[in-house]
Amino acid sequence: MKRTGDIALSYLTYVGKRLLQMLPVLFGISVAVFLIVHSIPGDPADVLLGQNATPEKIKIINHVLGIDRPLIVQYFNFVWDLLHGSLGTSFYNKESVTSLILGRLPETGMLLAGGVILSILIALPLSILAASKRGALRDQLVRAIPIVGLGMPQVWVGVMLILLLGLKYPLFPVGGFGNTFPDRLRSIFLPSLTIAILLAPILIRSLRASMLEILDSDYVLTARAKGISNARITRVHVLRNALIASVTVLGINIAYLVGSMVVVERVFAIAGTGSLMIDAISRRDYPIVQGVTLYFAFVVVIVSLITDLIHAALDPRVVLK
Amino acid sequence: MATRKKMLVALFAALAVASTVVLPLSANAANSAPKGDLIFVRNQDFATFDPDLAQNDSLFIQEQVYEPLFSNLQSGKGVVPWLAKSGSVAKDAVTWTIKLRTDIKFSDGTPMTSADVKFSLDRATAGDGWGFLNTAIGSVSTPSADTVVIKTKFPWAPLLADLASFSNSILKANFGGKTAAEFFKAPIGTGPFMLDSWVPGTEIKLVANKNYWQPGKPYLNSVTWKYVVDDNTREFMLKGGQADINEEPPANSVASLKASPNIKVGVFSAAASNYLAFNVKVPALSDVHVRRAISYAVDRASINKVVFSGLGSVSNSFLAPSVNFYDKKTPGVQFDLKKAAAELKKSKYKKGLKLELLIRGGNKAHEATASIVQASLKKIGITMSIKAQEPSVQRATQKAMNYQMTLTAWTMDIVDPDELLTFGLSPEGGTNSYYTNYVNKKVIAAIKKGQVNVDPKVRQAAYSFVQKQVAEDAFMAFTINPPYIYAWRSNITGFNVNPMYTYHMEDVKKN
Repeated sequence: MKRTGDIALSYLTYVGKRLLQMLPVLFGISVAVFLIVHSIPGDPADVLLGQNATPEKIKIINHVLGIDRPLIVQYFNFVWDLLHGSLGTSFYNKESVTSLILGRLPETGMLLAGGVILSILIALPLSILAASKRGALRDQLVRAIPIVGLGMPQVWVGVMLILLLGLKYPLFPVGGFGNTFPDRLRSIFLPSLTIAILLAPILIRSLRASMLEILDSDYVLTARAKGISNARITRVHVLRNALIASVTVLGINIAYLVGSMVVVERVFAIAGTGSLMIDAISRRDYPIVQGVTLYFAFVVVIVSLITDLIHAALDPRVVLK
Repeated sequence: MATRKKMLVALFAALAVASTVVLPLSANAANSAPKGDLIFVRNQDFATFDPDLAQNDSLFIQEQVYEPLFSNLQSGKGVVPWLAKSGSVAKDAVTWTIKLRTDIKFSDGTPMTSADVKFSLDRATAGDGWGFLNTAIGSVSTPSADTVVIKTKFPWAPLLADLASFSNSILKANFGGKTAAEFFKAPIGTGPFMLDSWVPGTEIKLVANKNYWQPGKPYLNSVTWKYVVDDNTREFMLKGGQADINEEPPANSVASLKASPNIKVGVFSAAASNYLAFNVKVPALSDVHVRRAISYAVDRASINKVVFSGLGSVSNSFLAPSVNFYDKKTPGVQFDLKKAAAELKKSKYKKGLKLELLIRGGNKAHEATASIVQASLKKIGITMSIKAQEPSVQRATQKAMNYQMTLTAWTMDIVDPDELLTFGLSPEGGTNSYYTNYVNKKVIAAIKKGQVNVDPKVRQAAYSFVQKQVAEDAFMAFTINPPYIYAWRSNITGFNVNPMYTYHMEDVKKN
């Protein structure tokens, strides 16, 4: 049996290795994004100057922005700034890219956390309900949820929730993020519920399948033979083991959500990192596109790392190497 | 006793008089205190407080913080003195004397003087963004604190209209001792509001300027512009009471908004035009008969109905009806398929031809317009394909003139037509006639004539000629004059949008 100190050390070594592995990933992404962004037709100066932008003025502004320099020079400037802790300055509103991303984190973080918490709150009881009697009506009904849930577009779900809980029964704000924490909790509920309605079906499917598999296992049969109550078997033996597989499913989907929350952000007028990225692409605001992409990549790698750590914590058979 | 009685009567009389005089005064004072926080929702994100770089995303908000010397009339057909008291031109036609109001203060409480005006105009003239409006300005001098003399390089009729542009707003001289970047983060102007907070990508909030020069204004305590991209969300926020004014709701939502309780809809006349532009260097489109044939084949009424729910108007001139010197008699080509077919027969392409229309992908108005044009052209033997590009790419393609036909538009920024005519038809505009390669020397000469003559009759004759000639040359098909649409909650009063797309928030009340 390993000592606690050894386990902690192996965790730290593992985390260190994973963080080091992240560097080439981020470097590769930075090069790819830099090349892709600069190869898109369109001009930041044209966006800045609008309909009066003559080719002559565009040339002047491009010089001011430094985008008339060779690509390799621009890339090294970008990396140089990065090594000095700066992601550059927005072409559009002259704000620091780092502060723009940091400014959007509360919105994105609360939205993501709210969506995940609500989806777990929806998925857990329904999965237990379905798995408690395979093939029964309640199981059939819960099994139908993923089919319906996954078929509904985010925009439609969001709009329906606004119409119902924002306008017909005005319990929650229609859009925006609010200025105080209680305001923000209220503002974030409908968008989080939209995410949860789309995320919960994936979790339900995974959890129900895992629970049914575990319920058929020998150790559950032994527990039943010992006269342990169904509730205790479900809580202690089935749910904990079923969660192991679902944690990975949840982790993958959180990573996916980070980049795809923009639809929900748009519908509920929440200025998160997704909206920042979309606006920056349409404005050809290269520093923001590069900065947000690096941030997305960083978050995806971190979420994946956290998922692995939780997986290892839940399942002692998993060895972190 | 009698004396005491008289004294009491006099006292009551005095109290009665005082009550009639003082009470309304105190009520007025209470009413004049700014009250109400108004929230706009709009699909554009504020970008900058630099007037030289202002586009539609920023200029309406800038106009609440800074003000120009002259202001556009609500009709869009002229200007009135604003920070200026008067403006007049000498007999030499190049020396303009502007007398300034002496009661104007910046939001920091300091008085506005001619030094601020000179600094602002010199900066605007040197600007890369809107400096082209001031190309005629030779020098600005300040003989006294309330007088500014502007010398133009040549006689220049549009000067007062140019001075009414947001780009010529009056800033504090030398940015109040700050750098430009610092100043535009905490701007100081003479406008009715001043910056309270700005969160890029989310909202910008202005609060009442206590030093504003118009007595009793602004009526509102604050105005916040929230950036809400989704059309439905803006509509829901307005209906749900989370917003007071919705900027640019889609035309097809107007009927539902009008039917909603507590919502009012304003459809304002705009100095704006939509066009189908031809690249006249494309061999087929260098033939005026082909261009006219296409112009005749554009079913403008259907476009107005489908795209603008009938709220716009069919265009018959390069200038919109609300632009000064618009001539309704100019023979703009209108929808007539017989004439379209006849024009095509006069061309080298009697048996028809193939052309391509460049549009903005994802732009519903462009997509619907393109479909209507495509269907009409098919009837006269022109097979038109539609090429959609992402908006920024479409603009780049248009400016590089790598297109055959495209959809484009214009909104006036000043009340004088010279801005559009120079930009769209003269080599001085630097755009090869709005990226069409169209050149007509007589048109260019007439534009010049309109610039240098201050006599309105001479200018009208010149601009009528321009409108008639460009319609005959059909370098563009003039399609629709779109409206400006706003929706607001019924407790909002005093909100008006002028044809230059600007509004005075100091006149708006929230009841």
